[in-house]
Amino acid sequence: MAETIGSIIILAGAFFLFSAGVGLLRMPDTYTRIQAGTKASTLGNILVFLGLGFFHPDWALKLLVVAYFVLLTNPLSSHALSRAAHAVGIPMAPSTVVDALAERNAARAEKNGSS
Amino acid sequence: MSPVEEENPRANAALPRGLAGLWLLLLVLWIVFNASAAPAILLVGLLVASAIAWIFATRSAVWSDVLLTPRVLFHFLVYTGVFVVEMVKANLNMLRYVYAPRIDIHPGIVKINLRLRSPIGRLALANSIALTPGSLVMDIDGDTLFIHWLDVRTTDPEEATEMIAGAFDKHLGKVFG
Repeated sequence: MAETIGSIIILAGAFFLFSAGVGLLRMPDTYTRIQAGTKASTLGNILVFLGLGFFHPDWALKLLVVAYFVLLTNPLSSHALSRAAHAVGIPMAPSTVVDALAERNAARAEKNGSS
Repeated sequence: MSPVEEENPRANAALPRGLAGLWLLLLVLWIVFNASAAPAILLVGLLVASAIAWIFATRSAVWSDVLLTPRVLFHFLVYTGVFVVEMVKANLNMLRYVYAPRIDIHPGIVKINLRLRSPIGRLALANSIALTPGSLVMDIDGDTLFIHWLDVRTTDPEEATEMIAGAFDKHLGKVFG
């Protein structure tokens, strides 16, 4: 019984991971792709760990710690990637509404240029 | 560590602030990884945790903002609950975007205000934001966070702060200050 529940949870996790992959292919630009990849894969991973916990109850605490590490490190890589992408000027999708970061950079460049 | 000691930092002035929290965290991790509390393992863990906690608590101010009191623990648990709910919501949202026949989003980078003071609190907030509905932290500048938002609904910093960080701010503020 516990193994059936575990299998279903792992399947749900795999579905989220698959969706992350589909998101990577379908999203319009780098930044939205990073978003799709980060979010769906985090929940996918955690569900897989949860399902594993049903198969091996004695691993539960270790899996919890691993889940926390994923939660801590996954956003860091997405910050780094998106920040680097913006810094080298990778264009945003045409549907983009506002870019406060570029405005900030432009204002800063102007200030440095005039002084 | 008795709660009395932590609530009155002057009572243990010789110990750096934040040492207790870090020490406990390291010790619990050690015991979890070994899956055993045999005396020999426990002894090694105590020594190593004390040494590492001492080094990091004396060399870095980051941990000094984390004080271990029942109230902090309570708010940390509530925060974890809020976070899990927000994360599941974010994922369902993402599924909606991903499987929509036509991806209809209006992404953009907006500014929000940071109310948290401590570096570790800001780290926790930034990480939480990155994992919740359609937002991703791109840069930090003083008290301003630049956020890539998958579906921009407002460009006003005040409103955006409430919509993006509102759910976490309160509890993280109580935990990390």
